[in-house]
Amino acid sequence: MQWKVFCASATGKNHLDADEPCQDAVHRQALAEGFVGVVCDGAGSARHGQAGADLAVAAFARMLAEAVTGGALGAAAPEGRRAALADMLGAVRLQIEGAARAQEGTLRDFACTLVACAVWRSGGCFVHIGDGFALCVPPAGQTLLSPPENGEYADETYFLTDERWAEHLRVTELPALGPGALVGLMSDGVSPFAVNRARTGFYLPFIDPIVAHLRDAPEEVGNAALRNVLESERTFAITGDDKTLLLALAA
Amino acid sequence: MSTVIPDVALIDNSDERALLALVLDCSGSMLEEEKIALLNAGLKTLEAELKSDPIAARCGRVLVISFGGDNNVELMGEWTDAMDFTPPTLSAGGLTPLGAAMRCALDEIESQKVQMRAAGVSYKRPIILLLSDGEPTDDWQQVAAECKNAEASNKVNIMPIGIGGQANRQILGAFSNKGALNLSGLRFKELFIWLSRSIQAVSRAASGGTVQLNPVDSWAQIQT
Repeated sequence: MQWKVFCASATGKNHLDADEPCQDAVHRQALAEGFVGVVCDGAGSARHGQAGADLAVAAFARMLAEAVTGGALGAAAPEGRRAALADMLGAVRLQIEGAARAQEGTLRDFACTLVACAVWRSGGCFVHIGDGFALCVPPAGQTLLSPPENGEYADETYFLTDERWAEHLRVTELPALGPGALVGLMSDGVSPFAVNRARTGFYLPFIDPIVAHLRDAPEEVGNAALRNVLESERTFAITGDDKTLLLALAA
Repeated sequence: MSTVIPDVALIDNSDERALLALVLDCSGSMLEEEKIALLNAGLKTLEAELKSDPIAARCGRVLVISFGGDNNVELMGEWTDAMDFTPPTLSAGGLTPLGAAMRCALDEIESQKVQMRAAGVSYKRPIILLLSDGEPTDDWQQVAAECKNAEASNKVNIMPIGIGGQANRQILGAFSNKGALNLSGLRFKELFIWLSRSIQAVSRAASGGTVQLNPVDSWAQIQT
């Protein structure tokens, strides 16, 4: 099955006003019978949060794509899959640690959250640490979710770079997805308007027009259209945060 | 094919609150140097700043607690959403029951959290802002220790701020693990502008970690 994968990022109002760059990063790759996507949100409270997010999306997307293409990820049982994903994330952390050492910093300076998806012919999974949101809408049946984990406070979360990251690693198994399926990954700047109030699925008045538009759009046009939505000044009244959205549609 | 998608609804479905308790010294000494008038003007600035920012107006939830008189602690109204916040006009006179006022603030924060949770509303780590130009005239040591404990167990973020030269920085500092700051000159206005912006800041911290607030150099005295 063919997947069309669209994504876009928009710098939040707070960063625009302060003349600072977007600290979200996104990476995706369409594969022969699936795709991988990774969204990371660099912590504003960390010195190099943006660099951490950039490093993490690139490294983890590459490893995920290899594991899907090689068949290892799909062949494993859920427990083995979780272990393999944890190993990959451990390797991503080592890469970030190396970059941190080169800049005389620590892992904490590169703090970022991570929400990712890997889809192959017979199934898939969400991989999640911290906030952000992942949703999977199968052609029939209920929406599958990987909601944010914040602890008690909405403005505090868990990072890939935390010492106890493994305790906060959440893997959600996905079924085989048929034509018409929709998968979304987003940073926490997008979920207030893309997810419904009950947090049980997409907010339909937001997502339906977008999906209708993207179904027939070539990738570059679709990405530009998605970016226009995220950059809309109407989002400024909702969040000052950076906004990243990845949408994958099964043809 | 167009890059503009028509009819996309963009509304806020999240319900997220930032709780702010202002604990304000209204003892007799606040009459000197027009401090109480400047504080009242500062509260008007806070109101204007909160209401002019759509995110702060929707997220902020404010409670004003005054202390003074004959060891009186008074709730100046109830918890109020920022968009409906009308500051009280404070008048100064009497003693400085700072300890009792801080205990009241801790209790009010915790009961407000219970209500938020019951309503399914998420919230940021609450802030207690304490402003005083003197030193307590009640038993404060026990409450100060409770404040530090509450902070250490991530229940609240406490900011004690001294006003003017007579503020006892050492005692004020005992109410927070971060110590106290001093208001530079009588820059109430800058302080409250900073506070309003802190409410809608998006910079997230690690869960359970130390909260980083925006830089305070617009209003805090730089120690030399």
